[in-house]
Amino acid sequence: MITGMDRLRAAAQGSPCDRIPVFCNLLDQGAREMGVSLRDYYNSADLVAEAQLRMRARYGYDNVWSLFYVGKEAELLGCRDILYAEDGPPNVADFIIKDPADIHRLRVPDDLFGHPQFAPVRRCIELLRAEIGGRVPICAYITASMALPALLMGMEKWMELLLLGPTDLRDELLAKCSEFCAKEIAAYRAAGADVLVYSNPFGSTDIVSRRMFDELSLPWMRRDLKTGGVADMVYYCGGARMNRVIDGVIRALDFRSFYLSPLEDVAEGVRQVAGRGLVCGIIDDIKLVRWSEEEIRAEVARIVNAGKTGGRFLFGTLLMPLALPERTVRTMLEAAFEYGRLEAGAAP
Amino acid sequence: MMLDSIIRAYNEAVFDTDRDRALSVVREAVWQGCSPEDIVFKVVIPGVETMMRAIAEDFDSNLAQHFMTAQIASQVTEEMLPLFAKPPKVVGKAVVGTAKGDLHSLGKRIVMGCLRSLMVEAIDLGVNVPPERFVDEAVAHGADVIGISAMMMHTAQGPEGCLAVREIIDQRGLADRIKIAAGGAPFRFDPYLYRRVGADAWAPDGISAGRAIIGLIGQVRR
Repeated sequence: MITGMDRLRAAAQGSPCDRIPVFCNLLDQGAREMGVSLRDYYNSADLVAEAQLRMRARYGYDNVWSLFYVGKEAELLGCRDILYAEDGPPNVADFIIKDPADIHRLRVPDDLFGHPQFAPVRRCIELLRAEIGGRVPICAYITASMALPALLMGMEKWMELLLLGPTDLRDELLAKCSEFCAKEIAAYRAAGADVLVYSNPFGSTDIVSRRMFDELSLPWMRRDLKTGGVADMVYYCGGARMNRVIDGVIRALDFRSFYLSPLEDVAEGVRQVAGRGLVCGIIDDIKLVRWSEEEIRAEVARIVNAGKTGGRFLFGTLLMPLALPERTVRTMLEAAFEYGRLEAGAAP
Repeated sequence: MMLDSIIRAYNEAVFDTDRDRALSVVREAVWQGCSPEDIVFKVVIPGVETMMRAIAEDFDSNLAQHFMTAQIASQVTEEMLPLFAKPPKVVGKAVVGTAKGDLHSLGKRIVMGCLRSLMVEAIDLGVNVPPERFVDEAVAHGADVIGISAMMMHTAQGPEGCLAVREIIDQRGLADRIKIAAGGAPFRFDPYLYRRVGADAWAPDGISAGRAIIGLIGQVRR
């Protein structure tokens, strides 16, 4: 039986397979799956792992997640206040950096792998590996050093520091965030994650100018990634577009996997990568909420057809909103499996 | 310095996200005799409108430029207003905040800066604002528009966000007096979302929100 890992490897190597890989990112839906509140759900690694396994088994897509919620990284750095909602993802409620002195005081844990806040993540990956290890890619989420300050001080204050300085304070914070990022990558690898999604909105020229991308984003990304390479990593700009930087990212950082924006021209993304790696075409999961079944199928067909012909392609979602009805998720996935089917001997 | 060259130098500084250079251009211009009124109405406001056009035409503009455009425009306006021969006419009033459960304040800040430079009296309600408070504050301040920023799907379309504000406004019979503008990432991904949540207008970014809100003020004050 062909597994998700087989499909991902085939897509990465450009070798034949039954269909393109389909990545579906269901996180908060796990609470509903397990019949508990989001707060209870995210406070139990066993529930998170079990829900990931159940949802993947039910829908048949090709990945699972070890990500609880993005604020977990802030917790590893000292945040103790998370705002839970009943109908959406938890968020950082209290920023640990409120003034410059907090930046001086910020300490990156020496042993991230052994950190108590990382223990649930390790436990989740351990449970996932025991059940589907080697057969279904286990994804992990890494926030880049340029983006991490937004979780620690809020995006508004971070933009202010980034654009207005003082630059020595900015660089002190970035150095600590980069140290954290490198340690987090190592911790996830040690825990057994297969695919590391490296998230950096500041790696998109939708967020910063090309000059800032070249002078600041690229050097800090290089520093984040200097040990261990990027063979298992995916370049992702948090939903922002990346076509304009793909070539530079390949040349400077050697990334070989790109998770596009739903706002992106998929065919152009494939052209930019030019066979040097994997491209994931993403559906707009906000519009999914209101689309009819026919509209969903048409959109999936558009994305898959735009990318599949170029090879080394997969189909994916952003973080699916909890508001999406199950029928919508199923319609989208059935269309992705159908349109993503490959002729005998064809490579994804 | 001629006005044309002031405008060019200011716009270049703003596009380069260089606040110090932009401030230096306008301060130098005032020192050389340019009126504070001309700085605001012929340099700053057209500068914001230039950025709006750049965004609309996808002319390679980015979030950093939006942030700095609003930041610089607001700061210059604040510096120039006390120097005006007589106080300028306020275009209208708006209360702005993030939806209940939403702590993302960047978009709100860009909107606030943009509105202030466009002569709209903008009242900042902060983050995580309950729907009743949006309406109560709008009534208390005599605001024409409620601006609601939501960066997550559940705060954009959930029952305690824009939908609830719409309901309260309709219940109190305020629909002709107070309009609602919505914005934030989910609205950018789905341009029809604003209708589903009962807003009167939306904007894909904080800079364009200025234009959307002024349009709504025009409807209320017609």
